[in-house]
Amino acid sequence: MSADAQGAESHGFLGEEFLTWLWFRWETEGGEFPLAGGRVVGVALDDFLTFAALTEDETEQTLRRGLPTRTAEARTALRQGHRLRKARLLLAEGDRQWTATLDAPTMTLSGVKLPDDAEECDSDADRTADRAANWLALHEIVQSLYGAFLKERLQDDYRTTGAESQAAWMAR
Amino acid sequence: MPTIRKSGGVVPFYWQGKIVDPRDDAFAEALAPQRFRTIENAASEEVSVGWVTPADPTGDSFAIEDLDGGVGTWLRFRIDKKSMPMRWLQIHRDAAEKARGRRLSAKERRELKDDLIDQLLPRVLPTVALVDALLFHERKTVLLFATSKTAKEAFAKLFFESFSLPLELADPLQRGLRADLSPDQRHALERAEPVRWPNTTQRSGAARDAASPLPQAGAAEAATSADAQEESR
Repeated sequence: MSADAQGAESHGFLGEEFLTWLWFRWETEGGEFPLAGGRVVGVALDDFLTFAALTEDETEQTLRRGLPTRTAEARTALRQGHRLRKARLLLAEGDRQWTATLDAPTMTLSGVKLPDDAEECDSDADRTADRAANWLALHEIVQSLYGAFLKERLQDDYRTTGAESQAAWMAR
Repeated sequence: MPTIRKSGGVVPFYWQGKIVDPRDDAFAEALAPQRFRTIENAASEEVSVGWVTPADPTGDSFAIEDLDGGVGTWLRFRIDKKSMPMRWLQIHRDAAEKARGRRLSAKERRELKDDLIDQLLPRVLPTVALVDALLFHERKTVLLFATSKTAKEAFAKLFFESFSLPLELADPLQRGLRADLSPDQRHALERAEPVRWPNTTQRSGAARDAASPLPQAGAAEAATSADAQEESR
């Protein structure tokens, strides 16, 4: 059984970089992410952020309610080089919208709210089918966004291009 | 028939290899040996974990149509736990100590607990937890609607016992390995090191601008990349 999070321990930082990258892209490019197949997904950070500690001895910082991304505390954390560990996300595709809290090191979603059931759902079976499709869509949106991030992150020149731009944004 | 949840936590898992097609009767047959078995009348502290269906929480039937989850296959398992109610144990111990006018010895406490287990546990109902999952056969992906360690481990164990395949948590590494990456990018993923973002509070602006954004970790990545190229020659 390999259910233990070995990859979360060895590569959890990539989840944190991904979440911080979503924030960076949202603020600098407007939060619309083109995905494969001509799909466009909207992403925004909502009312809950947790910054990862830089070292094991440091305290994690959590900001709740209101607009935490606009706070001085959040800017200070970014300037100090903190990555996001958790954040509540708003995700939208077409007329469907999800909210979910992403735990970046494990890429686990908690507090998910699916879009409202489709109006044409007449039975429990219809509702189950509709919700199953929305759960799958949410999983695939997160997977596609992460894939888009990795394609940029794993470029040979990332540290002198994308990382440089993000560093400038974090230092604002 | 209940409906699948529309909120809560979700943990994705992947598997490699082939499992029985959920549209075949053989799929339900694969679940049946690990069906839930009741511990309602058990006289000892026990945990029972096993498959049920959304339509039948007893584990007695596994009809294919009961697993229909639209685009996915709706799995459900049940975790029952029977344990000695500690408050009752404390009440009986206090009463015994009051009657004897002294504290019970360790041996007496153990004997009292064993007696109470024999008397009380057959009358204690287990706690019941029903956990759902959606399986997407062609994607080799299953979404578990629970985030606790107990549920994740119980599910992975049940899945392995039923299909003889281990589940892999969809963590940043496993998700990356399933993303549409080139062989070079996959190689870089496995050896990736974190970016150490500039700590601007400890550097002057001029020093920061002059500094290369390449951190020490970048040098390590470059080195492993060079090593890999050397090996491939």
